[in-house]
Amino acid sequence: MSERLTSRLGWLLGGVVLLAMPFYLERFWLQAGVFAMAAAIGAIGLNLLTGSAGQLSLAHAFFLAVGAYGYCVFAGDSGSATGLTGWGLPPVLAAVLAVALAGAVGGLFSPIAGRVRGPYLGIATLALIFIGQHVLLNAHDLTGGFNGRAVPPLSVFGFAFDDSATVVAGVPFRSMEKLWYLGLALLAAGALFARGVLRGRPGRAINAIRDHQTAAGVIGIPVARTRGAIFVLSSMYAGLAGVLLALAFQHAVPGYFGIVLSLEYLAMIVIGGLGTVSGAVIGAAFVTLIPQVLTKYSESLPLVSAPGTGGVAPGEASRYLYGAAVVAAVLFLPGGLARLPVPRWARKGARDKAPAPTSRNMEVST
Amino acid sequence: MSIRHRPGRGPAVAAPAAAGVLALSLTACSGKADDSDGGSGGEGGDGVATDIGVTDDTITLGALTDMTGPYATLGASVTQAQQLWVKQTNEAGGICDRRIELEVRDHAYDAEQAVSAYTELTPRVLAFPQFIGSPYVVAVKDRVDGQDHVLITPQAWSASLLGSEYIHMVGPTYDIETVNAVSYLAEEYGLSEGDSIGHVFFEGDYGENALEGSRYAAGELGLTVEEQRIRPTDEDMTAQVTALAREGVSAIVVSAGPRQAASVAGVAAASGLEVPIIGNNSAFAPQILETDAAPALLASYHVASPGLPIGADEGAVPDLAEAYTAEYPDALLDNGVVAGYNSISLVGRAIETACEAGDLTRQGVADAMATLTAEDDGFGAVHDFSDPANPSTLASYILRPDESAPGGLVVEREAAASDLAQSFPRE
Repeated sequence: MSERLTSRLGWLLGGVVLLAMPFYLERFWLQAGVFAMAAAIGAIGLNLLTGSAGQLSLAHAFFLAVGAYGYCVFAGDSGSATGLTGWGLPPVLAAVLAVALAGAVGGLFSPIAGRVRGPYLGIATLALIFIGQHVLLNAHDLTGGFNGRAVPPLSVFGFAFDDSATVVAGVPFRSMEKLWYLGLALLAAGALFARGVLRGRPGRAINAIRDHQTAAGVIGIPVARTRGAIFVLSSMYAGLAGVLLALAFQHAVPGYFGIVLSLEYLAMIVIGGLGTVSGAVIGAAFVTLIPQVLTKYSESLPLVSAPGTGGVAPGEASRYLYGAAVVAAVLFLPGGLARLPVPRWARKGARDKAPAPTSRNMEVST
Repeated sequence: MSIRHRPGRGPAVAAPAAAGVLALSLTACSGKADDSDGGSGGEGGDGVATDIGVTDDTITLGALTDMTGPYATLGASVTQAQQLWVKQTNEAGGICDRRIELEVRDHAYDAEQAVSAYTELTPRVLAFPQFIGSPYVVAVKDRVDGQDHVLITPQAWSASLLGSEYIHMVGPTYDIETVNAVSYLAEEYGLSEGDSIGHVFFEGDYGENALEGSRYAAGELGLTVEEQRIRPTDEDMTAQVTALAREGVSAIVVSAGPRQAASVAGVAAASGLEVPIIGNNSAFAPQILETDAAPALLASYHVASPGLPIGADEGAVPDLAEAYTAEYPDALLDNGVVAGYNSISLVGRAIETACEAGDLTRQGVADAMATLTAEDDGFGAVHDFSDPANPSTLASYILRPDESAPGGLVVEREAAASDLAQSFPRE
């Protein structure tokens, strides 16, 4: 009973601290936080697919791009001087449509996603990345080409998430402060929804398919349809993450949505912990914040040198760190960082209810 | 730059924490209002108005570079050259009685890193003498124009960066450079109406911006352009050169990387396509003279460049080459050294001018930059920064490879702005 109380207090305190951040942190940290929240939403989606359903996807960056550019096109000004296509829809509607579009594109791919298993799906989804990059660079009217296009700020009932200052308790709130709260709300909603899916019948069904698809079929689970559905859901999470990322960037650049980004998302869920929502969130925070922290403090960290002085540059150091973290997670922490004893209250909840992920997640069952 | 207070470690109860949040944030409002308009600031002890990035004894500049990504070679040269300038300037007493500090951030050509590094440094620096990666400069352009008002001299020469009073490219844009290159080919090799030229270019804004230049020049000269679009990962140019040979081109323009240029020259020579080849300044690196394509490059390759090569024996170049080699004995001498040093010394001159005018605010420095209208940089170009809609110069040098010269290039033709470059339409 007391542990439950501790857990509740922990959540409450964590929530208050997160809510208070925009009053204290400078824009750099807020922006890093919004990037991390967007990544967390995307990672939750990928974890549903890869961690829980055992389906490897390398196309996550593609669906992020669909969300980001979908939002730009739906919300962008029509016939503006930039020569870009824009439907000029209300930004909230545009965001919803962008998520729906990502889901629809995922749906188009789901016949393949439903039939192909595990790593084979990874190869199939690789194609989407290359198609995506080609379209992003060449469909100038939609994407603005190589230099990308500006992202229209979100506005909800006249409240704009742009750089105009809204003064709250003496602190001017600009885009990042506002987006911080938007990110928190979306992340909370996304996490709760994913938890609901995982704990309910669909969650048990996808775990059954991951662990033994023949057995799952025998007990009446429509294997292909369930796999297709989870692929669509995962794409929609990626779309939502793409919209939030685009809002944080204020400018969508095609080069960002490449294969490296997909691999980073895989690193997130492996490091954080396969198959759990908290794992995705922790992994996303780790992978997103490490390069930022290393770059910012490169001058005062041992082993990491300031750019231009030779030695290990911060960019390289963070890649080494991911690599080491992935290897360490696979060898010593099959459940990822979410299984570390540190967040005990989080771990307890996860252990009780979520299926224990094992290293078998990524294997092809025969 | 927002509030500097950190939340105190209070009791683990929500209400007091929330109350504390409110109280602390109320006391903090003035700190945030300070940097919101960017124009009003303090005044230094010497009566010079200042706002961001300047204290009584220090001026902080920012460099957003790529040392681990695709432009690592360029980033290293530019950054080291700029660090050299900072050292020399500080040894000579600094600017405006203040020491210069250069904050360097490596973004590895990653969008998230680049935008974050910009966000991190912007509240602390007076100007950015280095910003590699035109997509990321474009990405922050609205913030620069709208609220940050920070002077940037990017190491990218895309026409899409024109039009801001704060972003100044040092040298002609790729389209102008390509117009100059095609004009040179026409004059020197007697291309005439009806001839065709091949253009091998990267997809993306460098190549596509250059393509606008070759299309314009070809259209005016009555030539046709055979376009070969490639990706930065394509390194074997056999297919492209074969296609161009089939079309019977009389010359080839390369708006790609050094490897692609070497491949084009090598394959053309091997297949008997003996035509002049000319590249943009990014299509050369000294290393390609160590490849098998070296004889072909020496025979038929030229490079259009905004300034003197590092091996040149005139202007400020020999001093720079000597100082750079003394400071970084193992480093490669290439044209990135000139580009980086030139950018930061021009920013330095803008800061000096602003200091003399008693206004060392960001806006003051940007205004001072715009007053540099006939600035001889000592590296072979005269710059006019007064018109945001046009690059600072329309002139290009034509260089040719030479194994014995440091940096591998010597001047073939002095800087000149072709007639076509002057008539290039810019809306």
